Amino acid sequence: MRPDPAPLSRAQRLALTAASFLLLATAAMALGPLIAGSGWWWLCAFIAGGVLFAGTGLRALRTPASLVPVLELVVLLLLLTLVFGGATSIALVIPTQGTFEAFGELMSGAQRTIEQQSVPAIPVPPLLFALALGIGLLAFVVDVLVQTLRVPALAAVPALVPVVVPGFIIEAGAEAPALVLTAAAYLLLLRVDVRVRRRARLAAGAEGEDAATIVPPNRVPIVSTLGASLGLAAVGLLTASILAASTPSISSSLLLGSPSQGTLFGRGVSPFIDLGRDLRRPEPRPAFHYFARDADRPYFSLLTLDEFEGEVWGAGNEAVDGDNTVDAMPRPDGLSDEVVTTEHPIEVIVDEVRTTWLPVPYPTSRIEGLSGSWFWEAGSLSVRSVDTNTGGQRYRATRLEVEPTVAQLRDASTDVPAEIEPNLALPEEMPPIIAETAAAVTAGTTSRYDAAVAIQSYLRSSQFDYSTEAPVAEGYDGGGFDVIAQFLEAKSGYCVHFASTMAVLAREIGIPSRISLGYTQGSPTQERVDGVQRVEVDSHDLHSWPELYFEGVGWVPFEPTPGRGTVPGYSRPGAGDGTGAAAPSTAPVSPGASGRPELDPDRGLAGQAGGASTANTWWQRGVPVVLLAVLLLLLPAMLRVGQRWTRRRRIAKGERPADTAWDEVIATARDLGAGGDDAETARAFAATVSERAAFQGAEARAALFGLRDAVERERYGPDDIVDVADPVLHGQLADVRAALLADAAPVVRARAMLAPRSLFDTARRAFGERPSVGA
Amino acid sequence: MWHPRSVRVATWPRLTRRGATLVIVGVLLFAVSLWFDSRDVLVLAFVGIAMPAVAALFVALRKPSLAVTRRFAPPVAEAGGSTLVALVIKNRSRRTFDGAHWRDGVPTTLTAAPEAILPAMGPYESMLPSGDDTVRVEYRLRMPRRGVYPIGPLRVGIADPFGLARVDRDVGTAHEVVVTPRVTPLDTALGSAASVDGVLNGLQLRTHPNSDELIAREYRYGDPLRRVNWAATARRGELMVREEEQRGDPEARIILDTALAGRARQAGHRRDADDSPHFGFELGVEVAASIGMHLLEHGYRVRCDRLDDPERGLASGESGAGYRLPGGDRLLLEDLARLDGPAGAAGARTQSAAGTHSAGSRGRDARMPGFAVLVDPDEHDARSLVALRSSIEPAVVFATEGVAGGIVDLLEKADWRVVRVRRAAEIASAWSGTTRPQPVAPSRPPARRPVAPGVPDAS
Repeated sequence: MRPDPAPLSRAQRLALTAASFLLLATAAMALGPLIAGSGWWWLCAFIAGGVLFAGTGLRALRTPASLVPVLELVVLLLLLTLVFGGATSIALVIPTQGTFEAFGELMSGAQRTIEQQSVPAIPVPPLLFALALGIGLLAFVVDVLVQTLRVPALAAVPALVPVVVPGFIIEAGAEAPALVLTAAAYLLLLRVDVRVRRRARLAAGAEGEDAATIVPPNRVPIVSTLGASLGLAAVGLLTASILAASTPSISSSLLLGSPSQGTLFGRGVSPFIDLGRDLRRPEPRPAFHYFARDADRPYFSLLTLDEFEGEVWGAGNEAVDGDNTVDAMPRPDGLSDEVVTTEHPIEVIVDEVRTTWLPVPYPTSRIEGLSGSWFWEAGSLSVRSVDTNTGGQRYRATRLEVEPTVAQLRDASTDVPAEIEPNLALPEEMPPIIAETAAAVTAGTTSRYDAAVAIQSYLRSSQFDYSTEAPVAEGYDGGGFDVIAQFLEAKSGYCVHFASTMAVLAREIGIPSRISLGYTQGSPTQERVDGVQRVEVDSHDLHSWPELYFEGVGWVPFEPTPGRGTVPGYSRPGAGDGTGAAAPSTAPVSPGASGRPELDPDRGLAGQAGGASTANTWWQRGVPVVLLAVLLLLLPAMLRVGQRWTRRRRIAKGERPADTAWDEVIATARDLGAGGDDAETARAFAATVSERAAFQGAEARAALFGLRDAVERERYGPDDIVDVADPVLHGQLADVRAALLADAAPVVRARAMLAPRSLFDTARRAFGERPSVGA
Repeated sequence: MWHPRSVRVATWPRLTRRGATLVIVGVLLFAVSLWFDSRDVLVLAFVGIAMPAVAALFVALRKPSLAVTRRFAPPVAEAGGSTLVALVIKNRSRRTFDGAHWRDGVPTTLTAAPEAILPAMGPYESMLPSGDDTVRVEYRLRMPRRGVYPIGPLRVGIADPFGLARVDRDVGTAHEVVVTPRVTPLDTALGSAASVDGVLNGLQLRTHPNSDELIAREYRYGDPLRRVNWAATARRGELMVREEEQRGDPEARIILDTALAGRARQAGHRRDADDSPHFGFELGVEVAASIGMHLLEHGYRVRCDRLDDPERGLASGESGAGYRLPGGDRLLLEDLARLDGPAGAAGARTQSAAGTHSAGSRGRDARMPGFAVLVDPDEHDARSLVALRSSIEPAVVFATEGVAGGIVDLLEKADWRVVRVRRAAEIASAWSGTTRPQPVAPSRPPARRPVAPGVPDAS
């Protein structure tokens, strides 16, 4: 619709705002399937309502029309400060520098949470912040479209953003009722706008002497028009629904080859981390350190692999449950009261490890002091974040130390609970060597526990070598079945191979098993604080180990890798003789110091890559930013050049050529600040301009006057006068422009090119402000 | 004047810009939803596509029943003036009529009021009318040019409640408004004594040389002062005029060049179906109207004839009858207003040529003042004027710029007095020029008819 000059009353503005708000609020509902709970929606409604109604309030106070959008952005900032600024703000709403830092952290957290979370996402603060910011900006756009530019039909575009997003993330997309409601709200906005527009135009009346005076009836019942609106909307929505339902689905595989997967909220992460590469790293990087009692040297588990994805171990794909906060973690599966447990606090300070999984001992009863949103996963009790990572974390994990006796393990029931059943699953086809080995190793054992101990002893026996290089050299790195079969033949590998082999062998003989990825206990230092010892854990302590399930005890870790870590006391051969828990062996052997060739294939690469990557990042960040800035700065100039080109085209096509040429002359003059008022006639303008120095030459003067005569003839003369030939006009236009440019100082010329004033005046007029005087 | 149910579709229903935008958004959304196979958005895409279509259907099926009356105040306007068009629009339906715009249909040469909102109208009130079903609209229509213009029908643009589609419908019929040529007030009465009181009056004056006392009557508004009978006035103490003046039939003749016969010869390439009015012709009509009105005000019976056929009046119906004051001024102006442009008169030339010289056969032995308004005559026209000269005294030609010099010479030789009029502003001065004695009149025939110089107080 064309811009409407009729001013709106406050009530009319309010009606439009209310309709816009309704539209945004219903559109936000479409995000429902993506985000758990409903609190986020109220927040969105609050922010959108705040921005929209603040705009109405500002307009009611007769704020200049061009200021209102800016002030709305300010209001958005204040609202965000109110909700997310917390202690950093002054008087709750005024942001400080700290607030902006907090916002920056929230934004980066939001980016991570969008990458990490699966659907439905937990509304953690960074996600809420992103939602609030997004909906606030949408509200701003809607308000500008509806109130400032008065094109409410285009409000559909911002309102579509929250509607379309679910379709990209989940298969089913947004729910149909939300969509229909959104469409209805949009139609309501259109209806309100039509009524408001009519009222305003009727009240304003047309301008000018010849305008009609209209005497409307005193009062008109609007009920029947309401019926028409409702009926029309209902028919339209019904038609659309029927059409949508009857459209055959074109399989996207025909179009795209493969269905587009959700990219915004990742569905889990490929779990087999590149452990081997980290172990092969020549220089260990400090991962984290912790303070604990002398006796507390647990393994730190990051995540647990408990099922096969095809032939490879993988982590479960369960969505994070927003109720599983880490301040109260559950008792581990299968642990009965008979087993002795004690709680020990461990303080962990993360150094360089960056992952979304938190290194915590299994089992842990609670974790305190974390920043960000962290949730535990059922079963594995591994802790992961949805919006941040381990960087800079410092936390206190209360470890539950489980001390089962050998008797308890040996007497464990052979029944496997239903929820553990999946941990017995094996693929249909496996290399025969696995079953043969399992049968051979466990022959003669009487209980599951004894069988497990036998497997561990077999793998730790001298037949097997610890080597991080051999699998790479022989080409069987990884954790698949073929790899296990090859490993069982080659008998050389590192923790991944030992752990996965033991887990598979355990499943083969009926013991539920899984693999933990994490860190070994690390190496203690001499530093002691308050009676606890500081222990450093570095990247060479990365490890994986199998955990086996025994009813009544729960998941019990084993250590099949020779030369690494600590063999738990209960799992030593012959440990059953003792009554209590055996003292853990304190013979951790760091394999990093020995047995590795000096020439690491990755070393040189790593060094180069490191140097190049910093340079790359500088380039990658700097160049686009500079390019973008330059593009933005050049945008007015490009628009102006485009306008000039369009006008040339119109001259060539003969659409009022002289008028168009004259427009260009006026615009050039205005850019240069050389007159060119709207109210000036062509003759007056030509008279003023011809006074200038550059027009003293006969040629420029002739061109100017020729152009002026042509435009006067075209504007005021009869229509059928033969037009001036295009080349002549082109030549005259070029002459006049050249003369105008020659007259101006270089600075003025540059400003005219980079920041053309004629364009800004046009834009300003569109935003309802008078053009600057003299421009 | 009521015309209920006279509603017809003027154009097909069409989408507004808003509707078109919605369709485009819908189609884009449709493509997106197919491409990414997100069937949920398909609903919204179809809303965008179907809603304007449904709206178009809605406005196409919606037939308002409106009654429209149109009045002009004044009904006859002078060129350059304006008339107030008053419309009364009444809803005849039992439903509220809302969401419409109106615009009165006017010829392209006039500027109508811009399209405006038609306020909502309540349902038709057959009982106890309170006026809620009626909208009154007034607008001023400027009439820059002479002519007869059909105003209307009222074009009502009906939009759906969401402003997605609209259809234009014509309501009611067109009514004519007459725009008369501009009349320039002429100050001086025609000075030449001869024909002021007409032929009949002169005869009567001679038969009743001393009858003023018998037939004096009271002065009435509009009587020329020169007919005041001063003797009777002195006796009675109030203004008295000569009664017998009423029986005088002063007559004058205006011959207007409507055919512009010379134009075809000069500028043959110019098409006759030209929309823009011929400037000289309009000036000529203005001159004729000014003179005619002036003469009518002074009691003349005015005949207004065409140059190419002097026995034919302007209006084809009542030729020769002439115009007289009660009502005659309106008729004259209306006939002048109805004059078509100079086009198309060339065909009438041959058949009327025979009647040209029959002027004398009608027994007009008396002379009357004659004024010819020439725009662009050819030689044939000039000769017929020369032929008419014998029955006309005084004989004045008002010639616009288009009259060729040779024709002026021809007329002046035949003792027509030629006055040049270039612009409408010169009409008054040109007229007063005719009343002054001509400075040089070598070609004027010295003799006058002895009947004419009769009235002693006429100068």
